Amino acid sequence: MTIDADKLSGAESLRATRSYGKIRCHNPTCMERMVPEPGAKHAKCPTCAMEYRIYWVNSTLPRVRGPVWEVNRKLAEEKLAKMGGK
Amino acid sequence: MALDRKLAIIDLSTGKIETKVIPLDLRKKFLGGRALDAYLLYNHTKKGCDPLGPGNTLLISGGILTATCASATARTHFMAKSPLTGLLGSANMGGFFAPELAWAGFHHLVIKGKAKKPVYIYIHNGEIEIRDAAYLWGKTTTETQWAIREEMGDEEIKSCVIGPAGENLVTFANIMTGIKNAAGRTGMGCVMGSKNLKAVAVRGTMDVKIAHPVEALEFNKRFIEQITSAKVNQTQGVLGTPFIWGATNSWGGVRTRNFQYNQCEDSDDIEPERIDEICTETMGPHHMTGCFGCQVHCRAQYKIPSGLYAGKYDEGPEYTSLGAFGGEPDCKSAVTVLTGNHLVNQYGMDNLEIGSLIAWAMELYEKGILTSKQTDGLDLKFGNDEALLEMITRICYRKGWLADALADGGIPASEKIGKKSFDYLIQVKGMNNLHSDERGTPALALNSATASRGSDHLRSRPAIDLYHLPEKVLRRIYGNPVPYDGPLSSDHTEYKGKPWQVFWQENCYMAVDALGICKYHTVFLGATLPNFDDWPKVIYYNTGLEMTPQEIFEIAERSNMVERMFNLREGLTRDDLKKGDMLNHRYFDEPCRRGALDVVGAKIDKKKFMKMVDELYEFKGLDKKGIPKPETLKRLGLNKEPSHQL
Repeated sequence: MTIDADKLSGAESLRATRSYGKIRCHNPTCMERMVPEPGAKHAKCPTCAMEYRIYWVNSTLPRVRGPVWEVNRKLAEEKLAKMGGK
Repeated sequence: MALDRKLAIIDLSTGKIETKVIPLDLRKKFLGGRALDAYLLYNHTKKGCDPLGPGNTLLISGGILTATCASATARTHFMAKSPLTGLLGSANMGGFFAPELAWAGFHHLVIKGKAKKPVYIYIHNGEIEIRDAAYLWGKTTTETQWAIREEMGDEEIKSCVIGPAGENLVTFANIMTGIKNAAGRTGMGCVMGSKNLKAVAVRGTMDVKIAHPVEALEFNKRFIEQITSAKVNQTQGVLGTPFIWGATNSWGGVRTRNFQYNQCEDSDDIEPERIDEICTETMGPHHMTGCFGCQVHCRAQYKIPSGLYAGKYDEGPEYTSLGAFGGEPDCKSAVTVLTGNHLVNQYGMDNLEIGSLIAWAMELYEKGILTSKQTDGLDLKFGNDEALLEMITRICYRKGWLADALADGGIPASEKIGKKSFDYLIQVKGMNNLHSDERGTPALALNSATASRGSDHLRSRPAIDLYHLPEKVLRRIYGNPVPYDGPLSSDHTEYKGKPWQVFWQENCYMAVDALGICKYHTVFLGATLPNFDDWPKVIYYNTGLEMTPQEIFEIAERSNMVERMFNLREGLTRDDLKKGDMLNHRYFDEPCRRGALDVVGAKIDKKKFMKMVDELYEFKGLDKKGIPKPETLKRLGLNKEPSHQL
């Protein structure tokens, strides 16, 4: 075999697909992309109403720290009630 | 040359030590690390051997790239028959041990027999001796390492050691190096304890010659750039692996209260950001450190801020400690998590297993299956931080009826407790599941059920399935180096296409473990990290060995098949809840009660799950019972095993 030193690997070529400054809604059937304001502490999904607390790893890298617990609990309980569970 | 590193066979019963060259054709079939260990285990143990008897063989290894110019070749691998599961025992740790072993001249140690009294093995530049360890017996993991350094007068000695848990034959005792690097799973520390082997200490100054050093260093720059620019690794460098627990908890993918809930609510005090604050407060802003040759630096340093162990230094906690001492027992205190992490590190116990077992016992106590008489009066209810920490110590020293039972592992304990306790034990093949809840993620459920060493996230988990990646991106990853044009779905609640992803990841992780590099440097948590396409260059520049991506994939397939053959030889059967590729009934029967809107109500569809197992078997070349087809064994060159080539 010949080693082609300059050829980009699959992983290297996929690097162009990385996105910055965005988070995704964690609701699996939603997964809406959201762009929080720089430094924002909260974000609400415009599609499914989930609300999240935001942490900034660095100035261009936000991540979802966790849901807003009260909102999360309320939505879960409503869904469970509809399903007849608890 | 990296390929010159030898193998040593050390018989603790007789004291005989042999060193051997590793034949090149075996390197080409298995590379090194876990892959070659699988071959050695299959060849050096007999069917049905007692995991705690002299007939069990303990393997310790570095990968083929260990101590070369490649990044993050820090991993040390351990393998033996597991005293926890009775099947494949295998565990892997970071730190600095494997590179030191390579500089001392060795890539693989084959440790057989049983010493008559406590001993440790000392390896120094090609020389191996078995030394008295009576003075080390009873010491904690860090005390042991420092005592050896003091005895030998060399602070550069690296040791892998057991703590009191390994000595007491706790079946999930681990092997440790440094402060917190742990080969945690499947009870490899218990195997060391059964051999009266307290430690293996190494010191090496022998150069590892690089085949093409200039090219190796140049390529490694590209490798490092690819790795450090990934968002996931930038996050790890700040928050460490706890960030995974935080992210997973956010949408409802962590086990809480054993398996009753899938989210630990109001857990702000144990979220990674809070842990990071404590690390900063106690160790300063530069508290992240790393393993040999790694640029990610995912390991935090901290001091316990308050409580009984206030001021004690430790490292971590990892994802698993947040689950084990936070989410699972529903103890939402950072101090408790950091203290629990400290105790298991000192005792040498698998945090994942012990956290799961205690949470299981808490649920049994809540349901009245366990009585306060059986807990020796301990109020073992969820959220009781003191009871959790007390149980850790009791289990290590087997103090009391319940702790002694739990120290034997979940399945033996369930047989002692009785009263349907087994129904609540969340395990696969006798090993407890990670503190993740896979009811909303069929691909991850399939991975948990079918991983070779029992339920496991590091053997075949397609974690990037959670990222909702476009199908064209998935196809570029999972369509190489072996062509695949079947279904792939961005939706992680789907069942279609997931068996291929699990199959591909199983081979990716085996290759990584054969190379000796860390999984954070491949497609585990980051979709754009190096994999099969990149490895031929790293292998060639560092060792001179020419390989195609397809050949590396096949090596991984072969090595996974040897692990399968070992498990089948030791009694694995497909649908056996205790020794098979099957999940606890709660995955199929109890829906999720918390988490993101559409995770609520999720559970695994058993019919679809069984179909996924069928498909995975087909990709692996197994029949419907999970047994390798003759043509598969022939294709992989395994139809004459055990072949005893080494």
